[in-house]
Amino acid sequence: MDSQAPRVTVEGFDGPLDLLLELVEEKKLDILIVRLGDLADEYLARVRAMPSLPADEVSAFLALASRLVLLKARSLLPSLEPLAEEESESEEELRLRLLEYAVVRERAGQLGARLRAGERAFHREGGTIELPPRGGEVDALASAWSRVLALAARHGEREEDIVAPGERYSVEQRTAEIEALVAAQGRVSFATLLAEAPTVGFAVVTFIALLDLYRRGVIDLSQDELFSDILITGRELSSAQN
Amino acid sequence: MAEKPVGRSELGRIVGGTPRAVENALAELGTSYEGTGLRLQRSGDEWQIVTATEHAPQVAAYLGADRLRLSAASLETLSVIAYRQPVTRAEVEAIRGVNCDQTIYTLASRRLIEERGRKEAPGRPILYGTTWEFLECFGLQSLDDLPRALSPEGQVLESAEARPGERA
Repeated sequence: MDSQAPRVTVEGFDGPLDLLLELVEEKKLDILIVRLGDLADEYLARVRAMPSLPADEVSAFLALASRLVLLKARSLLPSLEPLAEEESESEEELRLRLLEYAVVRERAGQLGARLRAGERAFHREGGTIELPPRGGEVDALASAWSRVLALAARHGEREEDIVAPGERYSVEQRTAEIEALVAAQGRVSFATLLAEAPTVGFAVVTFIALLDLYRRGVIDLSQDELFSDILITGRELSSAQN
Repeated sequence: MAEKPVGRSELGRIVGGTPRAVENALAELGTSYEGTGLRLQRSGDEWQIVTATEHAPQVAAYLGADRLRLSAASLETLSVIAYRQPVTRAEVEAIRGVNCDQTIYTLASRRLIEERGRKEAPGRPILYGTTWEFLECFGLQSLDDLPRALSPEGQVLESAEARPGERA
């Protein structure tokens, strides 16, 4: 149901044409030949029975009522001279409108039935698949792997030296170090940051420190191509360049 | 790959075929989907692949999609727009005989209708038409699939009316 605003319906009637059509259908009359003026009394009775309505709604109902009464008067007194202005809508024009509205209501019913049947279609959701950037992928992957191997080899040597693993690095300390380095040099590569002492703990702390700096907007991160070194740039520096 | 409908000219550009060849290929593709879980959906010159309506309950369950509910008033407004598009609010109101502000707002906020430019008439009123979501929600492969009238009155009017979907 529409929830945005109170919907104005009167005893289930959705406007004057709806009410008139309802009368025609209740009496099993043929829209194509019924004398619409004959429905004036019944229509007025229904309108009178309505609870209070917003003014613009009432006026729409009353406009059609007056039209119907006029049509009735005309059929009772064929000699009645038409007034220039009131002939804005003849019985045939009103019939045509009613006919058109009947079609709309029928189609609305059919559409409603389709909705209730729930036979609908779905399109693919969730965005286009992101393909990795192209070019030199295999070579880049190979050289990245060799860097990892080199790192691991050095890592192996170093690990033996560690006597007391414990708390050797803190994120706060590392953050301050990187911040100072970036402030001094403007641009540092991730490899440079790691090269000093690439044990697992140090790498993790460095990485977290970088993420934290990025989150705080102190640095910008960029990577020219897949698997290449990550460049760390001071945010102030990069904005100054722009 | 596309998450959005693709235009015929774009397809032609990609595969390097004439619009006519693309049209034929699409027709073939549509036929080949018969009996599968997919369908080809068309709106104007654009196409997209959607799930078949008979599998709606399963797909809806997978997506956790709610069933769309519309009031009788909204359905009436929607049917006028669907069959008469592009159409202005005033034209819809003339047919329904009531104010349609609210229902048009509701339909637009549910993405069932959208603006289709302005009518070159006093006040340049907004023209409305139905969307892809409309076709999907009602399980229509194109506007040509809109249900035809069953009653004799409807047939009288329909024969006089331009068929929807054939307009530019």
